[in-house]
Amino acid sequence: MSDQTIKLLVIDDEPIVGKRLKQAFMKMGMEVETFTDPREAMNTIKQKSFDIVVTDLKMEGMDGMTILEEVQKLNPKAKVIIITGYAQVDTASEAFRKGVFDFIPKPFRLEELKNIILRAMSGALSESNKNI
Amino acid sequence: MNILESLKHIFGGGKTEGGEAPLSAATAFERFREVLRCNNSALELIADLGEKLSGDYIFDRQYIYNTMEGLEKAVLQSVHALNALCNNKYQILYSTYDRLTTRLDTVMENREDRDGVPVINIADTSRSHYIILGGKNAHLSQMLHELRLKIPEGFILTTRAYHDLIDHNGLREALNAFETAMEAPECTVEALEPLRHSLEQGILNAQPPDGLLSAIADQLKAIKGIFGEDLRLAIRSSAQEEDMNFSFAGQFRTILNVSPAPTAVFKAYLQVVASLFSPKALRYRLRVFPGEGHMSIAVGCYRMVESSASGVIYTVDPADPAGDAMIIVSTWGQGEAIVEGRAPVDTFRVQKKPPYTLLTQSIARKNTGLYPKEEGELGELDIPSELQDQPSLTPSQLERLAAYAMQIEIYYKRPQDIEWAIDHNGDIYILQARHLVIPATAGPKGSLADALKKYELIVSDSGSVAQQGIGAGHVHIVNTISDLNEFPEGAVLVSKRDSSNFIRVMHKTAAIVTEIGTPVSHMATLCREFQVPCLVNVTDILSKVSDGMEITVDAEDRRIYKGRVAELLAFKTATDLNISATKEFRLLKRLLDNVSSLKLVDPLMDEFTPEACETYHDLLRFIHEKAVAQMVEMGKDERRLLKDYRAVPLDLPIPTGILLIDLGGGIDPKAAGDRITFASVTSEPLKAILEGMLFPGVWHTRAADVSFGDLITSIVNVPTDALAGQYSGHNIAIISKDYLNLSLRFGYHFNIIDAYCSDMTRDNHIYFRFLGGATDITKRSRRARMIAIILEAFGFNVASKGDIVTGRSGNMPKSEIIRTLNILGRIVGFTRQLDVQMDSDAQVDRYVEAFLMGDYEIIGRH
Repeated sequence: MSDQTIKLLVIDDEPIVGKRLKQAFMKMGMEVETFTDPREAMNTIKQKSFDIVVTDLKMEGMDGMTILEEVQKLNPKAKVIIITGYAQVDTASEAFRKGVFDFIPKPFRLEELKNIILRAMSGALSESNKNI
Repeated sequence: MNILESLKHIFGGGKTEGGEAPLSAATAFERFREVLRCNNSALELIADLGEKLSGDYIFDRQYIYNTMEGLEKAVLQSVHALNALCNNKYQILYSTYDRLTTRLDTVMENREDRDGVPVINIADTSRSHYIILGGKNAHLSQMLHELRLKIPEGFILTTRAYHDLIDHNGLREALNAFETAMEAPECTVEALEPLRHSLEQGILNAQPPDGLLSAIADQLKAIKGIFGEDLRLAIRSSAQEEDMNFSFAGQFRTILNVSPAPTAVFKAYLQVVASLFSPKALRYRLRVFPGEGHMSIAVGCYRMVESSASGVIYTVDPADPAGDAMIIVSTWGQGEAIVEGRAPVDTFRVQKKPPYTLLTQSIARKNTGLYPKEEGELGELDIPSELQDQPSLTPSQLERLAAYAMQIEIYYKRPQDIEWAIDHNGDIYILQARHLVIPATAGPKGSLADALKKYELIVSDSGSVAQQGIGAGHVHIVNTISDLNEFPEGAVLVSKRDSSNFIRVMHKTAAIVTEIGTPVSHMATLCREFQVPCLVNVTDILSKVSDGMEITVDAEDRRIYKGRVAELLAFKTATDLNISATKEFRLLKRLLDNVSSLKLVDPLMDEFTPEACETYHDLLRFIHEKAVAQMVEMGKDERRLLKDYRAVPLDLPIPTGILLIDLGGGIDPKAAGDRITFASVTSEPLKAILEGMLFPGVWHTRAADVSFGDLITSIVNVPTDALAGQYSGHNIAIISKDYLNLSLRFGYHFNIIDAYCSDMTRDNHIYFRFLGGATDITKRSRRARMIAIILEAFGFNVASKGDIVTGRSGNMPKSEIIRTLNILGRIVGFTRQLDVQMDSDAQVDRYVEAFLMGDYEIIGRH
């Protein structure tokens, strides 16, 4: 990866989630794009590659599992993290089988997601980027 | 019911006022614990909701609904549990519960703006009214009541009046259709046109609801009584969210120079209300609150200040949001010329900190100014030539304005846009204050993460976020409560532990950092209420900062920087990143306002009644307190207790005559025989009290000469002698591992101590009562006063009357409870016979001083 800025994409139909994550991760120096409509997000993913995709599970129009599958087809290197208000063991394990990086139930602390993202990046990025 | 209880039932022994047989001590204690358990599950949910408001969590609507549902159930369980403990004595709490729950449902349904009074004087407003005052009026109320600034006298037609107007004029159906249409995702102003137009016209032609005109007339009469018939009014909009998170600047109408007649005020009122439906305002709403249809409007009717000069303050320079200057613009006459951009103005750049040095000024030629016209509205008048080139503010006025502006900015924790006026007496009035909106692009360019690297970090990744935010200022270390007295405006409060007493300075605190503490403490709740950025549990912070050192607290990434980090402060002012403006946060905040704030603070005050409960937290506090009171009563029924239980004498080197009743875990099971020694007491609160009583010198008789260490290893049985307090009757201690109810009768006075001391901080309490004495009432009262002063010094809430003193403390960690009980033990011992020596008021101070200094032997020296 030549460009060292981490690119993050957030999809959640409740706008507060994207707003909040954008605020937090921009401050950490990442490039963040947020969407409330999953179909719109997919259009962007098709045109541009992201390092990390954080998506809600249950949404109108397209669910998080579909996003996961689509992202893996388009950009296998991207890490997908699923967040949801309806944590279900079944869905979680299915998501893992499909290669989700991690799974986090709402409500969660910003710190928890940060740690997951740092973990996702430590594999993908060179040493010089670890200081985020 | 055991046999003994059945017998008592038959013979009617030991009945309470209600005629019910009282519970046995063991059952009462069990039920007391059940009250604590129920209260805890409710309080945990409240804490959970509160934590989400800190900004440190990601949550959604579903979370709010689920948690509120759980909370309503949990609080009801607490009411049941108290009634189970108290023979159904608190039936009234069911209606209190219903009242509070209905209110919360109203908040959940976003209908709370329909409650309350239609008309209220600004002087009579308080927190509970904010929701019906609209944003702008709520800010004015805060500036008047919390910051004690001058604002123009006036009254408010609340959002309740708005809803009455809608209903009275048959506009409800149209309004509902309009709000539904606005919630559609692709809503446009064009699509709304027919509905919008009919609402606007309906309001402009509306008839006043019953009683509105006479309520307005009453308010006008009161103001005219002070300012005479000549006064003029400014009728200003105050929509629900106006000035709160979004400025709505210039979106709604303001009618100036209105004559003080009810019909004229009503006519102006209608024009302001109708502007809620103007195309301009709707476009703004669709942009800042997409998907939200509901918004009601209140209207403020304020006396027009006859201003000699007026203007606007931006507490930061929008061109340099990270800088240390504010901008003050000013002109002669009324300030409307400025906000409308119609007049030449003087511009001053003033430093943001005392002594508010004037940095630069540019004085314009002001040949005209706006003044009220005879027939209403404002008109331009020529400014006398000698004033045209004069600065419209004097240096001392600039300094006062700057000081007020900083007070307001620090209170709201965000840059402010303030309108003000100075009248002919030189009095400064604040006309409105709102958050200053600065686009994110105005901030420093480049990556914030990179910019931050050049600052020295004092703390990194330490502590927990109690309230998210960023604040910078000079450190003010608070060791004791008295350190709050000289708290400088805008300082960062640093302290060993947290305290709800910090509320006293929260309006002027940039941030709070504590070495210990949790995000669920009372202080944390208050920080969220006042939006004070706060980090707790920051290891060794006191050794890393010193008084007066300037620091920047980032209570989000949990970092503290040395110096003022301009880039972070600029980042903070960027409005589109303001999370507290989102729908979910606003709903959660409104719910918490009605759930978690605590009005019933001191159980010893008369206002501690079910009627005074305003929140669930109040109700839970009331329940806890009444449960404690029930337990206190239990210990008084000596005869019954001795019948129900086998009481074992406690063997101490001092003659206390205490009999122990163990409900479980209070006595070492290995202890044999008919007498229990100090070493066998495993009840932690009892042990703490006894350690205090046995502390060297406290029990001022020969017996006390035995050293403390000796006591534990070899307990001697000292006979009661004439010098020791003569106790009559039995002194009973009902104990468990973590509970104590102790009644101590010494001669003619009586101590009651009831304490719970567990690992759960909020369960813990201490209740102490002292009454009586052998001497005349004057001396006895002096002793009571002395005890009251000592108790207060140790953080008790105290009420005293004559020779009765009651002290309450609690919500403290176990270690603090133990420490405080030890002190109580010393007070009990020390003050035993002191009434005899209280022959003058000076003795009160003398003995208080001695006690606080640990000079217990003073009594022997008398």
